[in-house]
Amino acid sequence: MLEALKGIASGMKTTLSMLKEPRDTYPYPEKRRELAPRYRGKHMLAVDEDGHELCVGCGLCEAVCPAHAIRVVAAGAEGDRTVSWTERYAVDYEVDLIRCIFCGMCEEACPTNAVRLTPFNELAAYDRRDMIAKKDELLAPPVRR
Amino acid sequence: MVVDAAATVGIDIPVYCYHQALGPLGACRICLVEIEKMPKLMTACTTAATDGMVVHTQSQAAEKGRRGILEFLLINHPLDCPICDKGGECFLQDYVFQYGAGQARFEEAKIQRHKEYPVSPYILVDQERCVLCQRCVRFMGEYVGEEELLMDGRGVHTVITNVPGIPLTSPFSGNVIDLCPVGALLSEPYHYRARPWNIEREDTYCSQCPVGCSSSVTGRDGQVVRLEGRPTPGQWGWLCDHGRFTYDFGAHPTRLTEARLDGEPVTVGRAAQVLGQRLAAVVREHGPDAVAVLTGGSHTVEDHYALRRFADEVLGGSRAGLVKPVEADLPLALLGTFAELDQSDTVLLLGTDPYESAPVVHLALRENVRRRGLVVKALGDRHLLRDTLAGEEWVVEPGGMAAALAAATAGVSEHPDARLAAEGLAPADESLVRLGQALMEPGALTVLWDGREQDLAPALVALARARGEHPTRVLPTFGPRNWLAAARVGIPTDYETSRRILMDAADGRIQVLLLWGADPVRDFPDGDLAARALERCPEVYFGGVFPPDGAELLAGVLPTAAWAEEAGTYVNMEGRLQTGRGAASAPGQARPTRNILQAVARAYGTPLRKLDEWDPYEGTVDDRLVLPPLEGSVRPVSPPPAAESGFRLISGLEVALTHDPSEVAARTKEDRPARMHPADLADLGLLTGSGPVELSSGDRSFRVGVRGDPRIPRGRVFVPRGLRGVPINRLGGIAVAVRAVEEVASR
Ligand code: SF4
Ligand code: SF4
Ligand code: SF4
Ligand code: SF4
Ligand code: FES
Repeated sequence: MLEALKGIASGMKTTLSMLKEPRDTYPYPEKRRELAPRYRGKHMLAVDEDGHELCVGCGLCEAVCPAHAIRVVAAGAEGDRTVSWTERYAVDYEVDLIRCIFCGMCEEACPTNAVRLTPFNELAAYDRRDMIAKKDELLAPPVRR
Repeated sequence: MVVDAAATVGIDIPVYCYHQALGPLGACRICLVEIEKMPKLMTACTTAATDGMVVHTQSQAAEKGRRGILEFLLINHPLDCPICDKGGECFLQDYVFQYGAGQARFEEAKIQRHKEYPVSPYILVDQERCVLCQRCVRFMGEYVGEEELLMDGRGVHTVITNVPGIPLTSPFSGNVIDLCPVGALLSEPYHYRARPWNIEREDTYCSQCPVGCSSSVTGRDGQVVRLEGRPTPGQWGWLCDHGRFTYDFGAHPTRLTEARLDGEPVTVGRAAQVLGQRLAAVVREHGPDAVAVLTGGSHTVEDHYALRRFADEVLGGSRAGLVKPVEADLPLALLGTFAELDQSDTVLLLGTDPYESAPVVHLALRENVRRRGLVVKALGDRHLLRDTLAGEEWVVEPGGMAAALAAATAGVSEHPDARLAAEGLAPADESLVRLGQALMEPGALTVLWDGREQDLAPALVALARARGEHPTRVLPTFGPRNWLAAARVGIPTDYETSRRILMDAADGRIQVLLLWGADPVRDFPDGDLAARALERCPEVYFGGVFPPDGAELLAGVLPTAAWAEEAGTYVNMEGRLQTGRGAASAPGQARPTRNILQAVARAYGTPLRKLDEWDPYEGTVDDRLVLPPLEGSVRPVSPPPAAESGFRLISGLEVALTHDPSEVAARTKEDRPARMHPADLADLGLLTGSGPVELSSGDRSFRVGVRGDPRIPRGRVFVPRGLRGVPINRLGGIAVAVRAVEEVASR
């Protein structure tokens, strides 16, 4: 009986002593971890000062992606209304965030520095279809609060 | 040449300007190699390989030479690979990656030129990306003989351009897209469409005419987006633009994508079930003769096999026939090959202008004329030769080709069959004797024939027999594209069988007519008979890709998968079997013919067994149909129709107009399909050289757009066969009245 109480006390000693120690976990979502600026999270598509998309729809990110998570459909600008800074642009740009392994190869392959991985990592959804990021979504990158 | 010698042992030497079909030029110097005992680097494409020659293709000196050439090429190159359509399949990218320097040393501003501007509805030029190899210029100018691309300027300012203000119109212009090693000549319809890594590219054969050119089809997201030429042994991989740019026909708005039964849309499964039950009831009551099957010769060999077994085994021996746009039957024993054409000493164009009816064969003829002096003769009811194909021609009265050929043969040969064929004909005059002499020349003769004039068949047999051991070969330029598939599986391909079937249908002796890709009202030479058959036959069902003329008379429609939507075997005009693969998916409810027929057979109660185990190549020799021996007697050729006053109707086949409906190829589709001599047009008051006319014969008439063509003799109107909305097969006689009509605001 005494032995048992001793055991409990010694176990609780560690537990109780830890109460005074600083915390390693964060009370998400009230408090969030500070991430490195080059953390590889969700993608974004960059736009230049004039509002032209940097992506020209070359498909190199698609080609290099080891998880086949990217799909690019290119088109030519109609008339003078250029979407990107040149004639060619991506009409469709999709990243399947379930497939993506966040390796950053697309970012590295992009000749125009259009696709970038942001530190945004709050990726959750109720429907797996919502996990496919469309172009509009990527052009308006979410910021972590 | 050293490049070719190296290629035979699997050593790759880079080339830009060299192409075997065009011959050596030595313009680009990318092919530098080191040859022992030669003081400097040599161009492998202009140096003949000789015995004992030692060539180093990978030596330091050779690689340094190439690196230098590539550095020069990149001086003014825009390097806009990310937006260049050739990115990923570009020989400049490949060679720079393989041999080039990693870093540019040229820091000055690059020369800017015209970028991605159209030189034809199909072709874009980007002058900045050009490496000035001149392949395109030489192909158009020397090989095709239509100088539509030029080099302009000197030195670093040299550019590729069209004749200012004049777009390319040659039907072979699309080949320069394939020929250009870089992204300087681009396909407009494919512009920005896809990349080599996000497409499916499969070997196939063009489906638009019986030449069946080898090609690769590109599919993206289930749609066909491009067709490219694909070199195979013995073929350079040329395509004509009619074939190249009709790739999208499967997605055309008029394409059949849903099944219909008695006018109502139903599922394919339901339609097949009802058809099976109805067929079973009809055969039970009236026997298998009350059902007949007509194929249009556009489906694959496998599909034709299923169709034949369906008629034989399920229906219990119903008749099957082929609907083709011409009335004559080719004696299959005479069927020739392209290889034989390349060996021939003389070629005879018989009523056909291959430039129009089998375009890539025109290129083969031209190459043979240029390379080894092939002799070209032509016999027709219009001028068949053109600037790019010279020879000697005989223009005879409409309907007089058979009589002329028989008389010419008999005028020179004593052979009894030649005599018999020419029995009752006027003896050959001096000019026809000259034709006879040319045709009786020793050596090999190849005849290109478009299947008009039934009597040409005996005349050709007589000619072949009269020529004795000197080979006589015939290449049929008429469609449908895959009619020899019917011959492969044993469906009769003769005119008489299909005429009998249509006669019986018109007389009410046939209860159910099954049309498989067949459009008899539009294609069958006797259009009235076909129309009567469709009207009188109680139930006509159609399986195919595009609705036939008289679709409102159909009891049911079954949409089938088209070319490039499934793998399948086609038989080209040489009788060669060629299997293409699919790169797209069939839209809507369209299903492969075999699946539909199997569903019908199940509903009938007699499923077809082991349909998929049949091998179309079984029993073929060198992938070619086994030809029957030349036998049977020759019948006398009937004399030509008496000359009449007024205009006479002549016809022929033209791929440019009769290819499948396509939105891409519609960019250059001629809307004045008929042709007349310009002077005749002027006489009719059409001073602008074209306009709508009304053709009438008896109580029949129709309107058609006509344009001037000096190659049509005066007093004749040329109207192509098999055109939608141009029912020349329902006009009756060949004597027609022509009247200019007011331009009606159309469409
Ligand atoms: S994001 Fe970059 S690599 Fe991807 S398609 Fe656009 S330009 Fe090309
Ligand atoms: S031609 Fe080749 S190297 Fe030049 S931009 Fe196009 S892909 Fe790049
Ligand atoms: S356009 Fe292409 S094929 Fe023509 S010269 Fe330039 S690089 Fe050669
Ligand atoms: S010649 Fe005939 S088969 Fe060849 S590309 Fe032209 S249409 Fe197609
Ligand atoms: S390929 Fe030899 S010089 Fe161009």
